Amino acid sequence: MTHALRRFDLAVIIPSIALVSAGILILSTSGDPGQTGLDHKAVQQGVFVAIGLAAALVMAFLDYRLLHAVALPAFILGTILVAAVVVFGDASLGAQRWFVVGPIVIQPSEIMKLAVIIFLARFLARRGERVRSIRTLLLSLLIVLVPAALVFIEPDLGSALVFVAIWLAMVFVAGARWWHALIPAGMALAAFPFAWFFAQDYMRERFVAFLDPGSDPLGAGYNVLQARISIGSGGWWGQGIGQGTQSQLEFLRVRDTDFIFAVLGEQLGFVGALGVIMFFTILLAQAVIISIRARDDFGRYLAIGIAGMLFFQSFVNIGMNVGLMPVTGITLPLLSFGRNSLVVTLAAIGILLSINAHRTAAPHRQQGVWWVSSVRRMAARPESPPRP
Amino acid sequence: MAVNGDQTGQSAAGPPGSKSDGGASANRKLRRGLILGGAVLGANAALAGRLWQLQVVETETYQEQAARNRLRTEPVRPVRGLVFDRNREPLVRNLPEFGVWVTPADVPKSREGSIIASLAALTGERPDDLRFKLSQARYDPGRPVQVAANVQRDSALAIEERRHDLPGVQVRSGIRRQYLHGDAFGHMLGFVGPVPAESLEEYQALGVGFDETVGLSGLERQFQGALRGTDGSRKVEIDALGRELNEIESEAPVEGRHLVLTVSVREQRAIREILARHLALRDAGAGVAVVIRPEDGSVVALASLPDYDNNAFGAGGDPSVLTRLVTDPRRPLINHAVAGLYPPGSSYKVIAASAALETGIVLPQTKIRCDGQLVLPTGWAFNDWLATGHGMVDLHRGISESCNIYFYNISGGNPYTNLTGFGNRRLVEYERAFGFGEASGIDLPGEAAGLVPTAEWKQGNLGQPWVTGDTYHAAIGQGLVQVTPLQIAMMYAALGNGGRLLRPRLVDRIVDTQGNVLQRLPVSERGQLPVSKEHLRLLRNALLEAVNGRNGTGKYARSEFAVVAGKTGTAEYSGTRDSQDKLPSHAWFAGYAPAENPEYAFAVLVRDGGEGAFAAAPIARDIIDYLMSGEMPPLPQDRPDFIPPTRRLA
Repeated sequence: MTHALRRFDLAVIIPSIALVSAGILILSTSGDPGQTGLDHKAVQQGVFVAIGLAAALVMAFLDYRLLHAVALPAFILGTILVAAVVVFGDASLGAQRWFVVGPIVIQPSEIMKLAVIIFLARFLARRGERVRSIRTLLLSLLIVLVPAALVFIEPDLGSALVFVAIWLAMVFVAGARWWHALIPAGMALAAFPFAWFFAQDYMRERFVAFLDPGSDPLGAGYNVLQARISIGSGGWWGQGIGQGTQSQLEFLRVRDTDFIFAVLGEQLGFVGALGVIMFFTILLAQAVIISIRARDDFGRYLAIGIAGMLFFQSFVNIGMNVGLMPVTGITLPLLSFGRNSLVVTLAAIGILLSINAHRTAAPHRQQGVWWVSSVRRMAARPESPPRP
Repeated sequence: MAVNGDQTGQSAAGPPGSKSDGGASANRKLRRGLILGGAVLGANAALAGRLWQLQVVETETYQEQAARNRLRTEPVRPVRGLVFDRNREPLVRNLPEFGVWVTPADVPKSREGSIIASLAALTGERPDDLRFKLSQARYDPGRPVQVAANVQRDSALAIEERRHDLPGVQVRSGIRRQYLHGDAFGHMLGFVGPVPAESLEEYQALGVGFDETVGLSGLERQFQGALRGTDGSRKVEIDALGRELNEIESEAPVEGRHLVLTVSVREQRAIREILARHLALRDAGAGVAVVIRPEDGSVVALASLPDYDNNAFGAGGDPSVLTRLVTDPRRPLINHAVAGLYPPGSSYKVIAASAALETGIVLPQTKIRCDGQLVLPTGWAFNDWLATGHGMVDLHRGISESCNIYFYNISGGNPYTNLTGFGNRRLVEYERAFGFGEASGIDLPGEAAGLVPTAEWKQGNLGQPWVTGDTYHAAIGQGLVQVTPLQIAMMYAALGNGGRLLRPRLVDRIVDTQGNVLQRLPVSERGQLPVSKEHLRLLRNALLEAVNGRNGTGKYARSEFAVVAGKTGTAEYSGTRDSQDKLPSHAWFAGYAPAENPEYAFAVLVRDGGEGAFAAAPIARDIIDYLMSGEMPPLPQDRPDFIPPTRRLA
């Protein structure tokens, strides 16, 4: 198999395409009647899928190791942007989560997720075995906690948790000691009362609503209950595309983002919803395999960071839709309507492809300064294996 | 970072021993990668399992819930029935109005406060009332309830405009009661109002929503069920904002029934007016006039003054009017014709007379001596109203000249002669047989039963033994006896119709909206007066004489249009004695006309009116004049025989 073909890992590409297509399909049924052309969310989503696919293609064809070079600047720039959005961003629904620059909406927390993965991958790869020391572990935690705290202040609890999930997945594979994991866990436990005290009301309400959605069917528990009703009423085969009273009569809210899975569950039933879970499973399993097979630790951690991000978001979102998880405002990757998140997720998938493409190059021994070895290796290596 | 990079490079190129470390490290990474992969599979399997549970195992539950979300069954309220007089002239009208309705399920808890505040500002309702209604409504949150009625058009429009700020709030058209003859029919029709909080459960058991208006007094209350009708229902598909999309099915309500009364607007108004003219001559005049048709017990007129305009109780009524009604010591809100209790005075004497005749204590011609006073051996003196006495009195004169001494003798006996009297026990039997001590059964709420005093009652309630004087008082309708004017009128109706004691009829029939008669309220006989035909004839002759005889006490009741038979009553009650050391008294006149074949029986009461002969009899005369001639009589003060209520004016 050629390098060029190996970039196109079907176990990554088919689920990704299937999931973004499902997203567009569902969005096409839930728009307001007045929305046409570019106003329609499905069309907008299509545009961003195209942009995201272009980004993925670029990433797939680039050597992921080039990301070493952008790791630090991207992290610093990202942190500044997230900090800036807290201070200057547009307020929406009580939260400051994005900038509007002309027609472009920039949501720094989405970009920051990828920046953190890249920077953390670089940091952990450089640190090597020292990840088993508490000092390195805490340093790596610091890298994550800075953006996580800023995002939490926005407030965006869900995205803040994504950063923590990314960190957990990466330090776990990097080899952190099991018992070290108790330290942040203990910290979290100790911080909980304070977090509860400082948390926004909506966070508390959502937490209570998760524990008992019936407690306030029109308040915080409303969405949880309606999502469960939507999914449950889908049955085996669903009510059909564009059908389903829960979504069409708008009992279900936040249909385009947080609860798109519930819409899908109502319209496509158990078969469709299970399909989504299976595609995610294939994609994530392949991401883990790519991580295992990666030629270097940087690629390994990068891949596992991406896998961790996708897994945490998809699991928490679907879990929230089916009532297994609290409502955290985490969207469903690839399906939910989203501009930045879609492009970033597809770009991350492009990176996965790049890591995969480079896995079986000459037995890996990274030596010296990264770019010297990269250049040397690229010079030494034929573009394609010799023909028989 | 450059330093870091160098270190990494060095360690990677480090001593050979590090290779085994690297191998262990690589194994660990592989292992942990696989663990993560396993975690992904496990977690996603859990999601799939949950999906199976929701979509396959429990799908029916959720489909039901989705249907419940989508469909709303709401009651369709019937239109309240109307009330017509005997000639099918309407007494009440339903006017269109705007009402504010709320569907609690669509009101987010978090916004309830602000929505209530907005509604209170727009409708003028008290926020507490709105909050109470909403909290009640939350028991059945999908069902819209009315929280405000008779909302101004401007407010209704403002609420409609602000619909998006007021989720779950709707303006609907409703109806309001307008009573066309306010005060003349106020007591009879009563009024409607919101369900009283204390009887909420009773009404809910009857299928009445707590947000409805219900009849609170009068016929509106008595016939609440028939007037209200029965809810219909409609099943509609709604969206998440509660907006109605389309109707799935509906069942029409059974509209409220109409009542057709036995009274006519013309007669009721005229008789009330006659009573009012007489009472207007007094300070704070208060009185009752009841007219009955003796042949079937139908009510011709039922007036209790002062009365009230029942429109005052609708939304937008003047609060100062209500305050005045509530604080007036004459208690205008009470229909004294059926709920007022008074000693009947001499109009009661026919009962004792009947008892005496039927028990044979005296013969009609038996004469008893009246010296104007009867002093018992105990020293108690019992007076006649005529201090000089009536001389030798038989039954005929006893009634027509209203001799108290005669009735003392026949009831309680006379210790100085061999007359024993029939006693109170027998008197009580007759009082009951004449319809006293129990409600007459008119179609109005709150009718009083009155009191027929017995020895047991007195011992039990006053702790005193029954004495002869009590029997004397009871026989002449004084002392402990308590009756309603309606009971007196029904007794005279029975005397007039040959002895049939009837249930008064106020509602003649209940009809549906097409005018089909659903129910005709029957003429029902409560009993027969225990008086033989012969004795009844004697009594009627005495009553005829009481009005038309030379010494009759009721001569001021003589009408030029019909021969009137009747009996005056002057019932003293404990109060402030006047300058002549007389107790205050209620003035009564009761009887029937024409005397031979009565068309009307009546009871007139002037509260604190003094002498029945002077205060009440002229009113009865004017009523009969009017009923027999169809013309309003002249003002009482324009008559040559006008007796000013001097006792009052003095």
